[in-house]
Amino acid sequence: MSTRNKTLIAVLLAALPVAMLLALSSGPVAIDLPAAIASGWRSDSSDSVILWQLRLPRAVLALLVGAALGLGGAAMQGMLRNPLAEPALLGVSSGAALAAILVLYYGAAVSGLMLPLLAITGALLAVGSVWLLAGRGASASRLVLAGVAINAFLSALMALALNYAPSMFAMQEIVFWLLGSLANRGWDQVLLALPFIVAGAIMLFLARNYLRALSLGETSAASLGFAGRRYPLLVLFGIAFAVGSSVAVAGTIGFIGLVVPHLMRPLVGQDPGRLLWVSALAGALLLLLADVLVLNTVGTQELRIGAVTAFIGAPFFFWLIVSGRREMSL
Amino acid sequence: MGRQGRTTRLRAWLICGLWLCAVPALAAERIASLNLCLDQILLSWVPPNNIVSVTWLSGQDQYRRAPIPEHIYLNRAQAEELLPLTPDLILTGQFGAQRAAARLEQLGFPVVRIPDAYSLEQLQAQLTALGKALGPLPQLTAQEKQLADLLADNPSAGHEQSKPRALILSANNITYGSGMLEHQLLTRAGFTNLAAEEGVNQLGRVSLEQVIALAPDLLVFYGGAQDFAIAHLAERHPVLKQYIASGRTYRLPEQLGYCPALAVVDVLQQLKKKRAEIVDAE
Repeated sequence: MSTRNKTLIAVLLAALPVAMLLALSSGPVAIDLPAAIASGWRSDSSDSVILWQLRLPRAVLALLVGAALGLGGAAMQGMLRNPLAEPALLGVSSGAALAAILVLYYGAAVSGLMLPLLAITGALLAVGSVWLLAGRGASASRLVLAGVAINAFLSALMALALNYAPSMFAMQEIVFWLLGSLANRGWDQVLLALPFIVAGAIMLFLARNYLRALSLGETSAASLGFAGRRYPLLVLFGIAFAVGSSVAVAGTIGFIGLVVPHLMRPLVGQDPGRLLWVSALAGALLLLLADVLVLNTVGTQELRIGAVTAFIGAPFFFWLIVSGRREMSL
Repeated sequence: MGRQGRTTRLRAWLICGLWLCAVPALAAERIASLNLCLDQILLSWVPPNNIVSVTWLSGQDQYRRAPIPEHIYLNRAQAEELLPLTPDLILTGQFGAQRAAARLEQLGFPVVRIPDAYSLEQLQAQLTALGKALGPLPQLTAQEKQLADLLADNPSAGHEQSKPRALILSANNITYGSGMLEHQLLTRAGFTNLAAEEGVNQLGRVSLEQVIALAPDLLVFYGGAQDFAIAHLAERHPVLKQYIASGRTYRLPEQLGYCPALAVVDVLQQLKKKRAEIVDAE
């Protein structure tokens, strides 16, 4: 890794606490931040309550979800060796969202750990369906095609489930799920998602060498001892755990898993193993900054964080296409 | 025996006559509705035998207050559905089902448009319009009187300092400011509506941070108690636990939003009671 790239990664690391401070200072109410920090989380003053019970859990959740999405995207692109892959592509996000919708709208009595567990199960079932549909030893392109099909089917099921949900707002809420939100989230959601995101990250860490070997091709990876189903399943489980629990608490937030690995890949010398952690770091930073933007936008309706990430992600694709055309003309 | 029999018959005729006078003559015998709120009003205040059709929404669990008699047809606001029912009065609102209403009018059916109510003044106008269309119904008259009495009684008149402060936190963090029925109900019950104080006109947004910073004496939720919705996520946030535990909350019924005529009196009474509790506790 070159010194320049190391410096860039160090800048990213240094930007994280700055973004955190920015997020903790942002909100509709002006608070005395140093005094609120000094008074501690047990204080009853409104500034302390706002800081410790509203802003901090929201910022921490942004970091966690952003990291999970970045990590999931890098792992997915590494495994499929497809630069357009992201967790949503294989139905991970839709599977988790569908399960969460079914739990929340039809089984309100089910709560606590059941929500992320079922969201993860939904994500796993979606991935399993893609795996089965694509068939044994499927190429990356066939996997992507199967993913698109399952994803479309799950989206339709999601619309159907919301259509018949007893809630007055169910149809409107599909937008909330599809665009994601960190508004009104607290420590309970952080604690709900944290263990599963950590478990998913550990699984992906254990699969880092498989992803490295896979970059040489499936045959080379098999000759290096990464044959069989164990490692692909480890990656898929890791993604389902990390992304599934994120979707359970924040809805489906797009583009982070797609854009971040692209941006980070040159910084780690195309190493899929290192890309995982740098993508987690950058994903966390990007989502936190997107949330700062949401918090500073004034309007009657909350600006959806998924819309912000899409606004960031879409120009990136324009740039990708334009630079691709330039390279071809040279 | 003959004299006694004549007296008994006379008494029976007299009772019959009095009963006929007591039961109001309905302006129509076969009434249909193309509006959810008017459905609810008909089902609550009009004898079921006089109703031929209400909208399908009234048959939904969410809106159904009591089982709907089998003979009442649940329409989807299509003119052709009402034609065979030959209603002699069709009630519709200001908005919605306008094409069906216009078509039925063209076909010679008597269609009456009842104005919607978004304020207490509009509510009184709505009740008057209903009275004209349906005739003098006892429940309608009672509702009008109860409302007038409650509005005449202003618990905090002349006691500005004894006005507890209230804030509405509705779905999607929406709050209700001046110019809304909900604001009128809060102020008529003797509360200061913090949203209006903060300059919110009609609808506005209130974040949980603002709820904590404003520290209202009463936090008012709006509907959505039973079913989960992300729209109501704010009121499930742990930061509001203290409010809920101390009983400083009140929940406006969903019905107030889509049919205030049936909910407003109860809400006003309950809010006045809540205010008295808060003032006593202080």
